[in-house]
Amino acid sequence: MADFDVVVIGAGNAGLMGALTCAKKGAKVLLLERHNIPGGCATSFCRGRFEFEISLHQLSGMGSAERPGPLRSVLNSTGVLDRLEFIEMKDLYRVTYPGKLDIALPTEKNAVVAKLQETFPKEKDAIAKFFDFVYAFFAEVIGAFYLADPDISPQKYPLYFKYALVDTQTILDEYFKDPLLKLALSVYWTYMGVPPRHLPFSDMAALLFSYIEFKPYHLKGGSQMLSNALLESFRSAGGKVRFNCPAERIIIQNGAVVAVKTALGEEISTRCVLSNASAITTFVELLHENDVPAHMYEQMRARTVGTSFFTIYLGMDCEPGRLGINETTNFISTTEDADADYAQSKRLSCEKSSFLLSCYNVADSSFSPPGTSQAALVTMKYAEPWLRLSPSQYYDEKFRCAEQLLRRAEKVFPGITSSIEEMDIATPLTHMRYLGHPGGGAYGFDQYAKDSTLFVPPTPPIEGLYCAGSWYGSAGYQPTLTSGASAARAILKKLR
Amino acid sequence: MREEIIKQIEGYETIRRDIEALKKYGYDYRIDRGEAMQAVERLHPSTLCLRVVDIIEETPSAKTLRLAPINATLPPFMAGQYISLIVEIRNVRTTRAYSISSPPHCTGYYDVTVRRVSEGFVSSYLLDEVNIGDEILTSGPAGNFYYNPVIHGKELVFIAGGSGITPFMGMIREIAQRGIDRTVHLFYGNRNDDDIIFHDELLEIARKNARIRYYPVVEHPSKSWNGLEGYITREMLLEKLKTIDGKAFFLCGPQGLYDFIEPQLAQLNIPRKKIRREMYGQPSDVTRQSGWPADVAASREFEMRVEGKGVFTAKAGESLLASLERAGIVLPSLCRSGECSMCRAKLLSGKVYQLPVALVRKSDAIFGYIHTCAAYPLSDVALECD
Ligand SMILES: Cc1cc2nc3c(=O)[nH]c(=O)nc-3n(C[C@H](O)[C@H](O)[C@H](O)COP(=O)(O)OP(=O)(O)OC[C@H]3O[C@@H](n4cnc5c(N)ncnc54)[C@H](O)[C@@H]3O)c2cc1C
Ligand SMILES: Cc1cc2nc3c(=O)[nH]c(=O)nc-3n(C[C@H](O)[C@H](O)[C@H](O)COP(=O)(O)OP(=O)(O)OC[C@H]3O[C@@H](n4cnc5c(N)ncnc54)[C@H](O)[C@@H]3O)c2cc1C
Ligand code: FES
Repeated sequence: MADFDVVVIGAGNAGLMGALTCAKKGAKVLLLERHNIPGGCATSFCRGRFEFEISLHQLSGMGSAERPGPLRSVLNSTGVLDRLEFIEMKDLYRVTYPGKLDIALPTEKNAVVAKLQETFPKEKDAIAKFFDFVYAFFAEVIGAFYLADPDISPQKYPLYFKYALVDTQTILDEYFKDPLLKLALSVYWTYMGVPPRHLPFSDMAALLFSYIEFKPYHLKGGSQMLSNALLESFRSAGGKVRFNCPAERIIIQNGAVVAVKTALGEEISTRCVLSNASAITTFVELLHENDVPAHMYEQMRARTVGTSFFTIYLGMDCEPGRLGINETTNFISTTEDADADYAQSKRLSCEKSSFLLSCYNVADSSFSPPGTSQAALVTMKYAEPWLRLSPSQYYDEKFRCAEQLLRRAEKVFPGITSSIEEMDIATPLTHMRYLGHPGGGAYGFDQYAKDSTLFVPPTPPIEGLYCAGSWYGSAGYQPTLTSGASAARAILKKLR
Repeated sequence: MREEIIKQIEGYETIRRDIEALKKYGYDYRIDRGEAMQAVERLHPSTLCLRVVDIIEETPSAKTLRLAPINATLPPFMAGQYISLIVEIRNVRTTRAYSISSPPHCTGYYDVTVRRVSEGFVSSYLLDEVNIGDEILTSGPAGNFYYNPVIHGKELVFIAGGSGITPFMGMIREIAQRGIDRTVHLFYGNRNDDDIIFHDELLEIARKNARIRYYPVVEHPSKSWNGLEGYITREMLLEKLKTIDGKAFFLCGPQGLYDFIEPQLAQLNIPRKKIRREMYGQPSDVTRQSGWPADVAASREFEMRVEGKGVFTAKAGESLLASLERAGIVLPSLCRSGECSMCRAKLLSGKVYQLPVALVRKSDAIFGYIHTCAAYPLSDVALECD
């Protein structure tokens, strides 16, 4: 008899969801986590009277109780929903390119179209046509891809077969002339980590469709509330968890998983492992090279470690309106050229980086103490330049970059700097430290068309090994929670 | 989706060919085995093994331990941060936080300056039993009491009490020795004038640097004392500072200092964002804290059941973390002041008093997690420490 039916490595979204789904069906599950709290990216930390949200900006795919989206359905099946309070955001986002563009989009489809048409009257018709196309195309994506229609064919799904691998820029160029309009429509590319020129249009369509149809959401208490709720349900279902306990090795015998060794030296026998650690950690650190089919390493060679972030967490001693923060989600751009913008993510300096400022107090005044507000100011940054710094330069660079971003935030939200009461900064190295992922890749590998699950099968070819999370599919709350649940279904099938 | 279907998607062939090329020329991640965590360890090691290379007698009650790495380099820190010393004394493994009193540019060692606490468990051990050449295990540098150039400006007021001078010493030495353009007004309160840590060095620094103003204040001065007397007050601050505008205030010292000085600062209408305060560890007598139930004496003993470990005794007046350590159960800990959440555990049943200063996440409070270093039993309790 094995010690556990399943050992889950990592308590990120996917790990928690996978562990809970297995435990609910009666499996004996152990969840191992390096850190001392559950959630991975989905966590928070306290400074003074503020509790800072680490990663959640806009929850996608929730939908309302009456019209649930895919994420609500997944969460519903775990019974955590009644412990959580979700808050619908009233705006999609505001895009500001100082001196050139300032537009705030609502969340209703017709209102989005109307707002864009009002700002860009010359391209009125193209805007309407574009949204019709997004909807028609995405309806086919749902049928062909998400629902896996067994009767699939190019005749039945013509848009899917024509556009599934086309990049976003091509479509934007086909429909629009004004680069500012393209900017206003494509800022969500930063949620995927690669610019429109490389971002599959199916991903961009998914973002627009999902946020407009199911609305962006926030969660009372932040993402840590979700992580704690999932863990609590897991415990009630009999699951065991160990914090401060990294997995060190996955032990394979005769091609199948037999045990997991922890950094504390214990060996825990099991037939199934669900890894929520990064793919590189799993295949390079946790598994012995001889136990991994060579083509796994070849497949990994074709991929590149995705972006991390530079984030300033701000606790301010005034309400957001005082600073002119009237939307929860604010993209501040420095250029209409997304490629130039993306190039900035590979540099240390934040002088020219576009950034996102999220402030939940706009949607939920209880998010921080009365009379205060908190915001996260985040920009995409790859880890590479940070890794090249000598340790003694690290803190100076952190502050220098923060200063550069705040100087520009000040132009859009005057008074923001002088209202700061608490502030902390996270760099790509901070993400590496807390997640254990190489490159601090909170989005996993870069997500080009070649990285879609159409080309990279999510299940590794080792018996008893399952993987879930941002490194094995798409990043984001909805995809990683969903991937945890589907890995669990595969595990339960094997256990049966 | 089946391969023969995927093949019919436009653009499939091109991507397939790209992938084949990349498989040959892409990056082999096996080369970097172990490197990601090494990069993190250089900045944030989980533990450091240091050697006591010098012991400096500062005052009758305080010594500086100079700690140098054994065969590694020290991670960088920001002046004002602390390290947590991990010690085992008479079979009890415990930790204590000590601010680094040396400046960050001295990269060869960390100084920690320890003042004797009467009957103090760890301070007595460090002062009486540690010798040059001994090895000590510590955490990496941690803490949020540091100067932030983005928001703190160039005019700083430091208010220190007793051993609370240590984080300021790192900051002042950094400013003075590197000639940084920042002005410091240091108000440093002590009970007696023969026990002022770093007094001579501070006088010397102030003499040589117009940027550093030093105001020692003594509560019970001897006859030979000719400086400021009594407590650090609002009037004293105003007289020396002229104006409080544009100045950032930093506070570090025992609870008594905060209790006295905070209302004084409030009367000066200093906005909250201009005041930073260091943690102060556990209160010496928790039963005097507001909200402590009158019917529970500090000496009262309760049963502490730890899931999977056994049943032990816990005193009301002692933190659950200390009781766990006495029972031989080691929980990770860092600040021992309720802020860092390292010592977090789940309270399965029973009642505890959580210090109001503890920074417990909203969701943790809802789901029954406590910070054991800042939680005291008020009944029999059951804990899960996983
Ligand atoms: C700044 C930022 C902003 C973001 N904004 C959004 C947003 O607005 N909307 C959205 O949907 N998504 C957002 N994301 C992305 C989203 O947070 C992540 O994609 C998602 O949380 C990843 O979940 P995961 O399941 O892959 O696990 P992760 O969160 O990556 O967690 C992996 C876990 O595994 C643990 N682990 C690793 N190695 C080991 C080991 N050897 N042993 C034990 N445990 C181990 C780690 O400690 C960690 O807890 C954001 C991310 C960041 C960083
Ligand atoms: C951020 C920070 C920075 C600090 N910097 C400094 C500094 O630079 N210099 C300095 O002198 N101090 C500093 N301190 C205070 C320092 O951490 C200690 O609290 C202080 O030295 C007293 O510790 P002690 O063990 O001697 O005292 P004690 O009062 O003995 O220890 C505190 C608690 O330990 C428990 N305890 C006592 N005996 C035992 C036992 N036998 N077994 C198990 N538990 C026991 C008790 O619960 C007691 O309340 C700092 C504190 C913080 C939080
Ligand atoms: S040790 Fe930091 S909160 Fe307890």
